[in-house]
Amino acid sequence: MARVRTTRNPLVAAAIVLTVAAAGAAGWGGWSRYDAAHDDSAAYAQARDDALAAGEQAVQNMNTLDHAELDEGLDSWEDSTTGDLHKQLVDGREAFVEQIEAAKTVSTATVLSGAVTELDDRAGRAGVMVALRVTVTAPEGEPAVKESRMLGQLTRTADGWKLSALGQAPVGNAAG
Amino acid sequence: MRETETGGTTTVSTGSTSTGADPETGTKPETGTEPEPETGTEPETVDETAGGAAAPRRGRWHRGLAAVLAVVLLVTGGALFLMGRQLRDTPATSNRALTDGAATTRVAGDVSNALGKVFSYSPQATSVTKESAKQLLAGKALQQYAALFGQVEKQAAEQKLTLTTHVVRAGVTRLGADNAHLLVFLDQVYEREGKAATTAAAQLSVTARLRDGRWQIVDITSR
Repeated sequence: MARVRTTRNPLVAAAIVLTVAAAGAAGWGGWSRYDAAHDDSAAYAQARDDALAAGEQAVQNMNTLDHAELDEGLDSWEDSTTGDLHKQLVDGREAFVEQIEAAKTVSTATVLSGAVTELDDRAGRAGVMVALRVTVTAPEGEPAVKESRMLGQLTRTADGWKLSALGQAPVGNAAG
Repeated sequence: MRETETGGTTTVSTGSTSTGADPETGTKPETGTEPEPETGTEPETVDETAGGAAAPRRGRWHRGLAAVLAVVLLVTGGALFLMGRQLRDTPATSNRALTDGAATTRVAGDVSNALGKVFSYSPQATSVTKESAKQLLAGKALQQYAALFGQVEKQAAEQKLTLTTHVVRAGVTRLGADNAHLLVFLDQVYEREGKAATTAAAQLSVTARLRDGRWQIVDITSR
């Protein structure tokens, strides 16, 4: 046996340790990456944030309308909605155009705060509540500012979350 | 004397198999830590091997491979781990609103109850309201409330005013381990003796903090 043994060489031990650590790191990293990708709560959290962002924007759009830019405004209403609400808007568009052209009002809305109250990620349905400030300016008189609180139902479509129902949160009949 | 150690052979071959190095040359496993095989190995590989010149060259080659492999594994592991963290620790996941259903229901319930209590009073029982406020509010919210409540007490007594507040809808915007932000829609019913009740709508942004297992309201902003 002419070979030289390096048994007690600390470098050998270090090499073994390093190799084991490297293999471990790869395994652990891989598991961690896989686990994260299949983490339902991360996807759910993302869906909640997407729904809130889309919901706030949609509610703001639905409270914004300039009689001088009616087509753009009403297009954005239709883009923000789906289902029955969308159908109502499309059906009622002509009559509404006449109304607004007669009134010559400009409405602008600012979202003050919003929250998702329910979220069914699988069914693609969510409920949002939004507090907003709406300023309505008529051709004559001071602009009217009012605080508004709205409840919306969102449905997920191929183009993201859209409003399928929207209404004022009722005042006075919520007792009990 | 070193060459005859049997324990050495065992260790080396174990190391060799795990690194995939050639068991023929005992020096290989150390290559994992050796970026430059020539310098570190020379003293140990006294070249008396039967293989002669061929063995050290192969040894070097294997050492290099093992080193590269170890580094690749480490880097891959690190990269995968970071990718996993990126997927998991987003701003979205740090907010537990709705993702933790029980905690979300609890904070919404606690805050709704608290608002109902501190914003409800009758001329006979303003002190009850005041006491519960001390329990349910803290920080800035308690200061604001205390400043306001002097007037409220007077008004309630003079005008025989009763206020009843109930929560129409409460939503959790952000939920952390011990802090939460909520949006709350309230109805406030004012009753003056001998007059019809009037109802007013209120929207509040509320900040709550978990203290001793109870959610306390620390800030209230009217919306």
